[in-house]
Amino acid sequence: MKLNIQNVSKRYNRQKYGLKDFSMTIEKGVLGLLGPNGAGKSTLLKMIATVSKPTEGLICLNKNNIVKDPNYMRQQLGFLPQDFGVYPNLNAIEFLQYMAAVKGVGGANLKERISQLLEGLNLIEVAKKPIGSYSGGMKQRVGIAQALLNNPSVLIFDEPTVGLDPEERVRFRNLISDLANESIVILSSHIVSDIDTIADRVAIMKNGSLLVHGGQDELIDHIDGKVFETIIAKENLRDFKTKFTVVGTTRKEGQLLVRYLAEDPSKNSVGKVANLEDAYLHFTKNN
Amino acid sequence: MKQLLAIIKYDYLQRTRSYTFLITLCASLAIAYTFVPAPDANYSTIRIADYVGYYNAAWFGYVTAIMTSVFLSLIGFYLVNSAIKNDDITRVGQIIATTPLKTFKYLLTKAISNFLVLLTLVLVIFLMSILLFFLYNDGYPFEIMQFIKPYLVITIPALFFIAVLAIVFEVTFRKFTVVQNVLFFFVFAFLMLYTPKTDVQYGFDVFGTKIITDELQQTVHEVTNTDASKSLTIGYVIGGQEKPKNFHFEGYDFPTTFMASRIIWLVFSIALLFGVTPLFHRFSGKELRFAIKTKTVNVVATNIKDMEISTLVSATKNYSVLPLIKTEFLLMARQGKKWLWGFNILGMSLLGTLSTEIAHQIILPILWFIQVHRFSGITTRELANRMHYFTFSSYRPLQRLMTSQLVAGLILLVGLAMPLVVRYIILGNFHAAIGVVSGALFILLLAAFLGLLTQGKKLFEVLFFLLTYANINTIPFLDYFGALAHDKQYLMNLSVTVFVLLSSCILIRRKQLVTQ
Repeated sequence: MKLNIQNVSKRYNRQKYGLKDFSMTIEKGVLGLLGPNGAGKSTLLKMIATVSKPTEGLICLNKNNIVKDPNYMRQQLGFLPQDFGVYPNLNAIEFLQYMAAVKGVGGANLKERISQLLEGLNLIEVAKKPIGSYSGGMKQRVGIAQALLNNPSVLIFDEPTVGLDPEERVRFRNLISDLANESIVILSSHIVSDIDTIADRVAIMKNGSLLVHGGQDELIDHIDGKVFETIIAKENLRDFKTKFTVVGTTRKEGQLLVRYLAEDPSKNSVGKVANLEDAYLHFTKNN
Repeated sequence: MKQLLAIIKYDYLQRTRSYTFLITLCASLAIAYTFVPAPDANYSTIRIADYVGYYNAAWFGYVTAIMTSVFLSLIGFYLVNSAIKNDDITRVGQIIATTPLKTFKYLLTKAISNFLVLLTLVLVIFLMSILLFFLYNDGYPFEIMQFIKPYLVITIPALFFIAVLAIVFEVTFRKFTVVQNVLFFFVFAFLMLYTPKTDVQYGFDVFGTKIITDELQQTVHEVTNTDASKSLTIGYVIGGQEKPKNFHFEGYDFPTTFMASRIIWLVFSIALLFGVTPLFHRFSGKELRFAIKTKTVNVVATNIKDMEISTLVSATKNYSVLPLIKTEFLLMARQGKKWLWGFNILGMSLLGTLSTEIAHQIILPILWFIQVHRFSGITTRELANRMHYFTFSSYRPLQRLMTSQLVAGLILLVGLAMPLVVRYIILGNFHAAIGVVSGALFILLLAAFLGLLTQGKKLFEVLFFLLTYANINTIPFLDYFGALAHDKQYLMNLSVTVFVLLSSCILIRRKQLVTQ
């Protein structure tokens, strides 16, 4: 199972690119896609999901060009878009049966699979209520259920944890880990904590370009020994930010505990173990 | 005042900066082009017996003003009757509700914005009428006042009333869009039937056209001195007519009472708006009509085990479209309130019991028209519900999904018409039965095509209303479902139209699938 993205661009007009010359090979496991808003994550995911076509470049799944033959990808795809809707007049069971029909899934086991998915996603009690009456988190879980209907071998989740409560987030992460054993899972987020516990590999994007990608440790190695903490007066924060890349601040007894990146730290600073969030800010702020 | 003007301005801009409005504008231009037929055209719009006016400035000005007043009043309501609904859907209404803006002022801004939208269309038609004058005129001089006066006195007050009436209906009938649409249909028909005789009675004619049409009839009567001059026709009469004779029409000096009545209509419109203001829900949670959520369900979090994907039963491949057709049908059937099905059952009963002529000509178009909310969004539903990422990334969306949408729509329309179809089959009138089924297919494909073209359902709804009105008035050219006697050529033409519409739908949807 290999997804090969070669020099893919999405150009809206002569100057404006949604994605520029993106190349990457993705194999089984979880790829976390990180980047600020407007980085091009959703644009890339839509192209992999065949709802948008690249203006340049190739996307191949197992050597099949899915730009030319999108149905090859569609037969094995589970996709949860960022901003999706549902038919409010259908209940969850009807909606999933509809989505199963849309995806070309059926057979004697379908009802049971839907029931298991609804149970696993804590929706079984409301399965016969119209989806229009669901909360945002419940709709999100219906969206996750539809993505899993067809035993997908490629799963794309665009900002999947939006609307989920902390407990549901944890359960979703566990689910992703389970899925990654057999499938390619691509997960986009701008929340680093959604990615760092489950992603085998991480790609960081900005302004439509790929900044860096690799294993979490590889990315963190870039800033090893460059993360520090110090306490400063509140009024000095603005001045401090002009000298260093601040990754976080915490109020502490009227002062500020500042976590920052630096080659040459300020006095009284303490070195800290770098994490993915530090690496993410390092790459996005310095590029 | 400055605040109100700003609200009106930006509301107007957001409504006119849309692809749908651009298409509407183009359609208005095309329709306006037909308001005054070319000298050698084989149709008429306003004709008194065998007479039409000489093509002078007055004839162009008054004829186009009358046609605009009638047609734009008819379709204009449907163009603008979702001003409040849109604020509801976009949730902007909830923000507005929390501002100090008074309810009446809000409704007034919406009414004025409606009016400006209609006025934009009037301006386009007005310019087209001047262009037509220079294209067709018989060598008469151009007199700008012969254009301005009828539009100012006849058309503009009528459209202001319609703009306000759309808001009044939205406020009064709240979420019952179907009731608004059907009721306006009857209100319009009732107003059109009004036949005033005196100067004061002319004042009650909101469309302001009767005073001129009576004057035209009177002028022709003086020329011919026969009763034949009374057969006035307004609307499109195609073919089967002798070449018309001409008479001189030099415009009309409106009596003071009539001029005053126009102002009274404007004041009455605003008073009407003021009268319904207390009924407005102001986007309160309970009354929030078009938001999806009505009653939230809650689930108590329990100790739930993690789901293990590997333990789920496997799904198998099944590319049958039957489950899709079933769900698409359910989606259509569940649109709107359940009690509206009472009307459908009544309509189907009438189709089965009344004379086939009345059932086919009157009941069937009305029965289909009241389904407009069910199938007008047949190809825009996915986008409207933000479902398109799911459906467009599904297996063979064009072949499987669009087919099932069209089949489900056809089942709905033909199913409703089934009592009539069965009667025709029993009577051995297969031609008429095929006409009904072809009509269903045509109207469905028209909805699909216009939906794909405009990415909205408004244009189809307006055109469908216009078609239905024309069908009830038995205009042969627009009889798409074979209610009137036709030769084989009719079925041929309809088949070609259906083929063109279907091909266009496939091409547009194919393009849509790859250009997201």
